[in-house]
Amino acid sequence: MSEIPENLSYTEAHEWVNPDEKGGVKVGITDYAQDSLSDVVFVELPNVGDKYQQGEVMAVAESVKAASDIYAPISGKILAINEKLEESPELINESPYGSGWMVLMEPSEDMSALIDAEAYKNSLD
Amino acid sequence: MPLFETCIHDSHVKLGAKMVDFAGWHMPIQYTSIVSEHKSVRERVGIFDVSHMGQIFVSGKDASTFLSYVTTWDMSRLSEGDCRYCHILNEDGQIIDDTIVYTFSSDNYMLVPNASTVTKIFAWFNSKSADFDVVIDNRSDEFFCLAVQGPEALRLLRQYYNLSITPFKLVKSGNIIISGTGYTGENGYEIMGPLSEGLEIWQSFLDMGAIPIGLGARDTLRLEKGYLLSGTDFDGSQTTLESGYSWVIDWSHDFIGKNKLMLQKERGYSPLKGILLEERGVLRPGLPVYFGGEKISKITSGSLSPILKRGIGLSYVDLPVGTSINILIRNKQLKGRVIQTPFL
Repeated sequence: MSEIPENLSYTEAHEWVNPDEKGGVKVGITDYAQDSLSDVVFVELPNVGDKYQQGEVMAVAESVKAASDIYAPISGKILAINEKLEESPELINESPYGSGWMVLMEPSEDMSALIDAEAYKNSLD
Repeated sequence: MPLFETCIHDSHVKLGAKMVDFAGWHMPIQYTSIVSEHKSVRERVGIFDVSHMGQIFVSGKDASTFLSYVTTWDMSRLSEGDCRYCHILNEDGQIIDDTIVYTFSSDNYMLVPNASTVTKIFAWFNSKSADFDVVIDNRSDEFFCLAVQGPEALRLLRQYYNLSITPFKLVKSGNIIISGTGYTGENGYEIMGPLSEGLEIWQSFLDMGAIPIGLGARDTLRLEKGYLLSGTDFDGSQTTLESGYSWVIDWSHDFIGKNKLMLQKERGYSPLKGILLEERGVLRPGLPVYFGGEKISKITSGSLSPILKRGIGLSYVDLPVGTSINILIRNKQLKGRVIQTPFL
């Protein structure tokens, strides 16, 4: 059973979103997504300052078997990336909601398209 | 069409393996993680269910001359108990499949072709056997096959069968055939026998500490050693010379495809090479290879080496070892180098 923290928002494309108190939004992939991918061995992250529309490909996570696109869960600008993933992509498997976060974004519009934990859980059934 | 299941199938499911369709078989791709399974084989010992592979028996007075004719190797050079890796070619010298020939006696052999080519090889042999006194028997659905591979593999063999084995030799224990063969580059062996006995042997090796390994790690393990994958590194249009496996050819005997190989040898050819990615990334089958700004080839097999943590792959490039090339990955030209396999 995959872990789905109650306090986060989600997309049906298996990303989680966590607003911080400074107006930034941390983004990563869910426990379900990391388990489906299995060993993440390479992550390609966007550049700081890049802007994305919701649903655009902003990153790629590669496992031994396949490459998976990671979509921008919201529209906005990249404020920071998790540089540790360059050397240690396995952090995504080990701690998808913690040290395996991918990017910090500045949202450019409201985030009403996101779904809550229960809706995300239902989307997996 | 429903998928075939090996006699170990239910155990894979019980162990929580991710199952996939592989050449018509419902097979485990991984149990826990490809990277950890890969390391288990390099560092300890793993067991693979490869019961989807075929067993074709060739017997009769002309078995040796027939097999010498339809493969790249001269079977008269083999003694009882020898196992020999060789290629099966068409008239143009192109590889139909690679296989290991098991020598039971000079008139009784077994071949182990790939799951996806068993039917093709069986039909091919039958179409070529008219002038030979041989019986060709496809007994693929009677056998399990388990590969035990890794530094501790031989200890488990002693423990279970009180036997030892040397590379490319076979021994028998009752109706069980054990051969010093594998597809990982580690010490190890493959165990074949009647379906009814497969599960008990599988379970016993798990109980002795062998770690179940899926087809995912089987692929990364063989790629690190530069071993060919049927249907991927040769797809029916490459010759044995081009595949880089000239050592499987015995030139002193006649065989199907020999004339074309001799011509190619004279004219020159460029064998399959290793490609090592020099930037971070993963090589994948089909990725284009560039040299001097031009697309010159593509990756046949590609992955990330769990041991080297680098992108590795194979490609038919007509360039010397050491040449810098580029690989186009998601619209970016990444630096790579042509190298001689094995990678590890």
